[in-house]
Amino acid sequence: MKEENIVRTGLKLAMATGAEAAEVYFMKRDNLTIEVRSGKLETMQQSCDQGLGLRVVKAGSIGYAFTSDLSPTALKDTAEAAVESAQYSSLDSSAQLPPAMRFDSSLVQFDPHLAKTPLEAKIDLALAIERSALSYDKRITKSERAAYEENDYTVLVANSNGVQVDYRNNFCGGYVWVVAEADGDTQTGSSLLYATELAKIDPVIIGQEAAQEAVRLLGAKPIPTQKLALVLPPQVATDFLHILAAALTAEAVQKGRSLFAHQLGNPIAAPTVTIIDDGSLPGGINTAPTDGEGVPSQRTVLVQDGILQTFLHNFYTAQKEGTVSTGNGVRSSFKTTPEVGPTNMFFAPGTVSEDELIQSVDKGLYVFDLMGTHTANPISGDFSLGVSGVLIEKGKFTRPVRQVVLAGNIRDLLNQVQAVGSNLRFYLGLGAPTLLVEPLTISGK
Amino acid sequence: MLVTKSDLEQVLGETLARGGDFAEIFLERRRSSTVGLEAARVEKVHSGLDQGAGIRLLAKDTSIYVYTNDISLPGLMKAAATAATALKQKRSDPTVVPLTTPKLDSKDGVDNRVDIEDQVKLVQIADKEARTAGDKIKQVLVRYGNLVQDVQIANSLGKMVMDHRNRHTMIVHVVAAEGNIVQTGYESLGTCNDIFLFTPEQAQKLAAMATRRALMLVGARPAPAGRMPVVLAGEAGGTMIHEACGHGLEADIVGKEMSVYAGKIGQQVASELVTVVDDPTLPGKYGSYAYDDEGTPAEKTVLIRNGVLETYMYDLEWARRQGESSTSNGRRQSFQFRPIPRMSNTYLAAGETAPEEIIAQTKYGLLVKRMGGGQVNPTTGDFVFDIAEGYLIEQGQVTNMVRGATLSGNGPEVLLSVDLVGTDLGFGIGTCGKDGQGVPVSDAQPTIRIPELIVGGLL
Repeated sequence: MKEENIVRTGLKLAMATGAEAAEVYFMKRDNLTIEVRSGKLETMQQSCDQGLGLRVVKAGSIGYAFTSDLSPTALKDTAEAAVESAQYSSLDSSAQLPPAMRFDSSLVQFDPHLAKTPLEAKIDLALAIERSALSYDKRITKSERAAYEENDYTVLVANSNGVQVDYRNNFCGGYVWVVAEADGDTQTGSSLLYATELAKIDPVIIGQEAAQEAVRLLGAKPIPTQKLALVLPPQVATDFLHILAAALTAEAVQKGRSLFAHQLGNPIAAPTVTIIDDGSLPGGINTAPTDGEGVPSQRTVLVQDGILQTFLHNFYTAQKEGTVSTGNGVRSSFKTTPEVGPTNMFFAPGTVSEDELIQSVDKGLYVFDLMGTHTANPISGDFSLGVSGVLIEKGKFTRPVRQVVLAGNIRDLLNQVQAVGSNLRFYLGLGAPTLLVEPLTISGK
Repeated sequence: MLVTKSDLEQVLGETLARGGDFAEIFLERRRSSTVGLEAARVEKVHSGLDQGAGIRLLAKDTSIYVYTNDISLPGLMKAAATAATALKQKRSDPTVVPLTTPKLDSKDGVDNRVDIEDQVKLVQIADKEARTAGDKIKQVLVRYGNLVQDVQIANSLGKMVMDHRNRHTMIVHVVAAEGNIVQTGYESLGTCNDIFLFTPEQAQKLAAMATRRALMLVGARPAPAGRMPVVLAGEAGGTMIHEACGHGLEADIVGKEMSVYAGKIGQQVASELVTVVDDPTLPGKYGSYAYDDEGTPAEKTVLIRNGVLETYMYDLEWARRQGESSTSNGRRQSFQFRPIPRMSNTYLAAGETAPEEIIAQTKYGLLVKRMGGGQVNPTTGDFVFDIAEGYLIEQGQVTNMVRGATLSGNGPEVLLSVDLVGTDLGFGIGTCGKDGQGVPVSDAQPTIRIPELIVGGLL
């Protein structure tokens, strides 16, 4: 069956099984991953998978089922399973599906060069990343892997209210993880870069960044417990944005697990901080005409100069509050319902370069790597993370530091952002410039 | 059986048609159901079917992996041809050994899934139990998940096995608050194939434990910061051994010389009190299986015996490269991933000191009764993990509870410094992430004392 037919059949079957309203989300994804090591191709993965998810409304409840078996029998079973699951869900007056809305088809992010570029050139790109890292410094002794990856996916969304969306996106990227060795010490460094255009993937930069991190950490040692200003480069700042993202969703607020509940219109961060989510950002990895339930993508300013402006909504959370969806019904696969989540979320850049930020610090720590960010508590905002980086004294990098711990609360961190760099950089869907944070406690020796 | 033997022989032949030393096909059909409860409402009742095949071709040090949802013979042949073409060699006549299946214990699709209705009852029981604790309880999240996975694995060496894995998990997340202080208590339980584990009483017990922890944390004081002795209770779970040691013993990390344990077989890498075991054969544990995801029968592996490093954890690919045999640690998240060396149920074996004696012998330090998540850099051995429940030890006595603490240290240094090992053994479950793949694992340890670790807390 063709994709449109599968979607139409799924919708028809759901309605025939007794659904009062139904939605089909179909996704087909092709992925290519090339990994090289020591100048040789080590693994190559090529894949294609597809499937659909059926969301139904029946007697005031929502049901959901998915399948990757697209045979007529499997589709029928899935429709029945979706309707059956609705009967176990609690009654919900907001159990509705979005109406059809106009959207901007030109937001498709599709680089035709990806399919036209031969496989050899992509293997060469991965090899070039590794070469760039290894030639950066003779103390870079090996790479764990260097890789090139690309994804090409087609999404169809249709519901019984007339929503009909159909688009195809692709994106690609590269990453590397290297080892530096000197005087009996071993350190690692990594870097990655993803974009919606192949031409933007510069293998030299990826390799250099990883190598630079590993070399700068050589000889790192713990330091005594003390308060230090923190310089958080983009990748590290996006780790904190990731912890924050959940608390900025209306779902977390409605369920009493957002630390920013009741704070609309109030300052939740220093005036230097502006946070934006933009599903229509040109070149964004997660840019698309609509979200995962057919609501048009849009730009939403969440925090403006430190003041909380709004939360992210999908259609359901918006219905609950009598407001409109911000187009954040996000789906990563056909296996889930649209959850409230960020599209392309970022700290808006300032005007100062990273170098100027570093020079302004009398005593601080430039953070290369955080460990254990997945253990941070998004409900309380508490985090306690392993940190490695380089000490800054009188505006200059001095000695490398490892095995120290940064503990605190995300609220305090936001309030202590003293300056924001101009170097906005995205890591997949999250972006940040370098942030300078007022002194926080670093636990060490 | 998902696909017949003769079809698989044809697919394996096509995979090797342009060269290569080894071909394998991993077929999978997984039915899943999840039930979520939050704010006393049952929501996110989902069920699904996912099926597909992953075809792997090994040629010298290169590994090709292709996967597809299409498990019809034409679909599989197309995927096989894609894999073969990647080698860019001329067509030849490959040899595929006829497939044979081991007679015993190959389980083919025994259906014993729990009804969604039963799952809904269990999450409601847990929610009710948590809410009896009063109005400091601000939110209760309960999730039940069931995954019935049928796999069929065949390779060009003539081996074919089937395995049936019925995994159940339940997690309870309780949010408690008083004034400005918000804390969460978390408990989880999981099994592979022990379908009688999840009784209403068990659901109640899980909720009560999570609730008690959330309430206690609200009243706890912030953890101290600095270096101090740390006692990890047996009931804390084995996150420490998993992070601080396990990952560095996986053969791919070792083979790429990215592990601190590379080249140290036969050497003293830990205190004499330390024996570390990986064992997927333990009945009913979350990380258990009859065959690994390459069809190797599950076996128990002693990794470190009395402090001496004995072996690493191998899958077929790394065993082949290093001239070793697989230790049945070749695992994958699903057909969408190639197998890599992974842990199953990993534990530090029990020792000889009574747990209470270990605390009594500690003048000042931190007692960890429950660990949270963790992370390790296997190249440096540096790790960090979160403490979900911790107490101060003062003059050999357990005193105040503390919150917001993290332990940070270096795996090899910690293992060498362990100076007391208890007689108990406590298990925890988790999903272990590596190379973007999550697999179910459990880990365990007795009560142990580490003379010095960095405790990160608020000053």
